[in-house]
Amino acid sequence: MRAAGPGCVINWNGEPLQVSAGESVAAALFRAGHLQLAATRKRHRPLGLSGSFIQGVLGDVDGIPNARLDQVTVRDGMHVARQNTWPSSHFDLLKLLRLVPARLVRGGFEHTRLMPSGTRRYLVWERLLAFLAGEGTLSPVPAAPAVVAGRRIDCDLLVIGGGPEGIGTANAAAHAGRDVVLVTRGSAPARFARLMGITETALDSRVTLLTAHEACAIYRQGHLVLAAPGDGGPAVAIGSNEIVLATGKHSLPPLVRGNTLPGVMDAATALALAAGGAACLGRVVVVGTETREAIAARLHSLGAAVAEIRAVAELKAIKGWNRVTGAVFEHAVPCQTVVHAGPWRSDPNLSFQASGDGLLRLSADALPAHVRMVGSAAAPDERIHWPGKHALDADVCPCMDVSAREIADLLRAGVTHVEEIKRQTSAGMGPCQGFPCWELMAAVIENAAGAPLADRPSHRGPRRAITVAQAAGLSGLVDPLK
Amino acid sequence: MQSNHSIVIIGGGIQGLSIAFNLARLGVRDVRVLDAGYFQGGASGRNGTLIRGGFGSPEWTGFFAHSNRLWAELSATLGENVMFTPRGYLVIAQKAETLARLDGMRDLHREHGLQSDLLAVRRIKELEPAIDEHAVLGAIYLKGGGAAPHHAAMKGYLAASRRLGARIDYQRPVTAVERSGDRITTVIAGDERIACEKVVIAGGAYSPAIGKLVGAEIPGFPIRIEAMALEPVRPVIRSAIALPDRLCYMHQTARGEIVGGAEVPEKPQVTLNTDICALAATAAAYAEVFPALGALRILRHWAGMLHATADWGPLLGQHPDVGNLWVSAGWSYGFAGAPAAGDLLARAIVTGEVDSRMAPFAVDRFRRNQPVVEGAIVLAPVD
Ligand SMILES: Cc1cc2nc3c(=O)[nH]c(=O)nc-3n(C[C@H](O)[C@H](O)[C@H](O)COP(=O)(O)OP(=O)(O)OC[C@H]3O[C@@H](n4cnc5c(N)ncnc54)[C@H](O)[C@@H]3O)c2cc1C
Repeated sequence: MRAAGPGCVINWNGEPLQVSAGESVAAALFRAGHLQLAATRKRHRPLGLSGSFIQGVLGDVDGIPNARLDQVTVRDGMHVARQNTWPSSHFDLLKLLRLVPARLVRGGFEHTRLMPSGTRRYLVWERLLAFLAGEGTLSPVPAAPAVVAGRRIDCDLLVIGGGPEGIGTANAAAHAGRDVVLVTRGSAPARFARLMGITETALDSRVTLLTAHEACAIYRQGHLVLAAPGDGGPAVAIGSNEIVLATGKHSLPPLVRGNTLPGVMDAATALALAAGGAACLGRVVVVGTETREAIAARLHSLGAAVAEIRAVAELKAIKGWNRVTGAVFEHAVPCQTVVHAGPWRSDPNLSFQASGDGLLRLSADALPAHVRMVGSAAAPDERIHWPGKHALDADVCPCMDVSAREIADLLRAGVTHVEEIKRQTSAGMGPCQGFPCWELMAAVIENAAGAPLADRPSHRGPRRAITVAQAAGLSGLVDPLK
Repeated sequence: MQSNHSIVIIGGGIQGLSIAFNLARLGVRDVRVLDAGYFQGGASGRNGTLIRGGFGSPEWTGFFAHSNRLWAELSATLGENVMFTPRGYLVIAQKAETLARLDGMRDLHREHGLQSDLLAVRRIKELEPAIDEHAVLGAIYLKGGGAAPHHAAMKGYLAASRRLGARIDYQRPVTAVERSGDRITTVIAGDERIACEKVVIAGGAYSPAIGKLVGAEIPGFPIRIEAMALEPVRPVIRSAIALPDRLCYMHQTARGEIVGGAEVPEKPQVTLNTDICALAATAAAYAEVFPALGALRILRHWAGMLHATADWGPLLGQHPDVGNLWVSAGWSYGFAGAPAAGDLLARAIVTGEVDSRMAPFAVDRFRRNQPVVEGAIVLAPVD
């Protein structure tokens, strides 16, 4: 079959599908009406493109499992399939697992009560567990090179984040004659600003630009940064005298029932979808903090049918079974999309690693003098609204099916340490590695304790931004500590 | 605040908990465990969770074979599911001299009642279809070895010990001890004074420092080692695996993640921060032996601290200088060894009899110039 017009044909779960070209697989599938791209790990509830939870955009692309569908561009003839299905991605019986009551699967895959070890039967049971837990299927025959040679860059200033603030900082330093590298996750700098209709400042040509690279870990008290491109190309070890974190803020999903249904998305994701044609969003409800009006106005100007704009504090639940069908305030508003524009919070991963220290546990400290945050990343985080009892049905970590209720119950049972809650629930141990789930987890703990909580489990890199092949290629580029 | 406990254990990692459980089983019901950090915060919550009975020396093999057997029945013993799977443990040789060393181990393992076999490359490939048969020369296969998720094992020990009356507190560091002559009389933890008859140091990497607090020399020093987890996939690696030539170990967990690490020769670091070198070395080892793993992504990378001794063997038994002080420290394979250490040390504490399987690891062996020579462990040499 050939693509007609500006589209192309991909294979989705074994069926040909005509999609629009030029955007990510996740966006193209969304536009084609396929919202459920993945599922939660234990109960197989539907997840999709959200901008918040990576689990929702992991799929099998041409036989390679766990590809990020929001980062892979559609190609004519590519095979994309839902993973963690059985017997097939087309006919999936595992989705019946969502009928299992949530309390039966509490505690992650490491705390089974059902069959004690020590018996032969347990060996079989454990393999079944690993099968159920295992997400994608890796072919034992290598499909890609096992080692991709990496590279080493040393510079005077490393700017992480390609928004207007990062560009401004990089330009000023380049102007002053410094040797500057800028790393951005986007395919081009200032993506979000452009979506908001803000004219971008061009990046000084003297700045070394690494696009589509994620800076995913910081080592050696903030002197060494690991970055890797999403396409499997060479990973980069970057040594720098000074580091600027211009990583911005992210909107967090509301803490209400249905907060991870396909159709719930952050402002940036909604704007990107709307920019390619807003019809796919259907009726849109925007909830958020102060920025909600501006985001809603921009969505409207891109053609989106914005039905309601509300403070996130007014939201009581999001309705839907396989996708969003409504937002519940004092009464229900039917809609297909819920966009959240706030609360906005920083992803603490990199700053934690630049400052974390301690022998009994790592905890974040003041940033070392040569690492600083600029722009919105440096602004205070907005508080996560606690909507009373409605919060208990919310997902905190959808990947591991951890609800606010599971955490509240643990707190009541006396398990109060963030590291312990993480280990007993597995919250934050999926592909996002703690952001945004630990922010939501902290909100649950804050509510129970009645006091703010700055404590988080330790943020560990490289949170799936780098493959084994890319990491293997770093051998020899960094000398061991002597 | 004043309290009385017949035995105080300093450190609530898997060693401290196993000792507490075994003491309680022998009838010592008022055991107190004090830990400075959070539950599972030490190496016991950060390790590779691999368990095997067979090593290169009779001393290690005698001890760990006992421990491996205890692991197999541990769920029943504790009444809690520790999720141990005897999935089989492969020690794989990539160099000829390593293969020769493994060759000599099989008979030793069998003498200690272990099912141990030398596997040719073809058999390894049958067991592990993802392996690159050109990267390996042969292996020793310990059929009863395997892994147990540390979350489950730690939770099991904690719950079972508490049921038998042990009082276990986390985030309660021991800050001082009082002695009268060569005996400890009181352990002090913040504002609490605990009068006790015996003290056990099971402080992991912190044991030498705790020794200083007590005024008792505990040889060795802390050292960081690192591990990482790959994103989950359906089962592709069946066994627990050690690659001594790459100083690497790995297995696939019940959650589908491939967890393991490789050591790099570096100056011993005292930190829980990680470094790029270990990440790269682990990935390079995987890529060499299991090239299919090259496509998988690395979820997280972490470090834990060990207490290194001159021969990498544990320090297990009574302290030579302080009359009522006992030690279980210096562990590098302290997860695998925990059931046996708890069993044998608790018996020694209660009955005074030192089992022959723990005797070689006596705390004063370096003073007596009798280190235990063990060549089949996966640890980077330090000088
Ligand atoms: C990355 C890594 C991989 C490993 N892989 C394996 C493996 O595959 N198989 C294996 O068998 N072993 C492995 N090990 C080793 C194993 O984890 C350890 O040997 C074992 O956990 C040691 O247990 P422990 O109870 O002695 O120490 P820990 O678990 O470290 O416990 C010591 C405790 O002492 C506490 N403490 C410290 N100071 C004080 C104080 N002043 N007062 C009170 N408490 C104090 C600490 O808080 C800590 O909880 C690995 C270790 C690491 C780091």
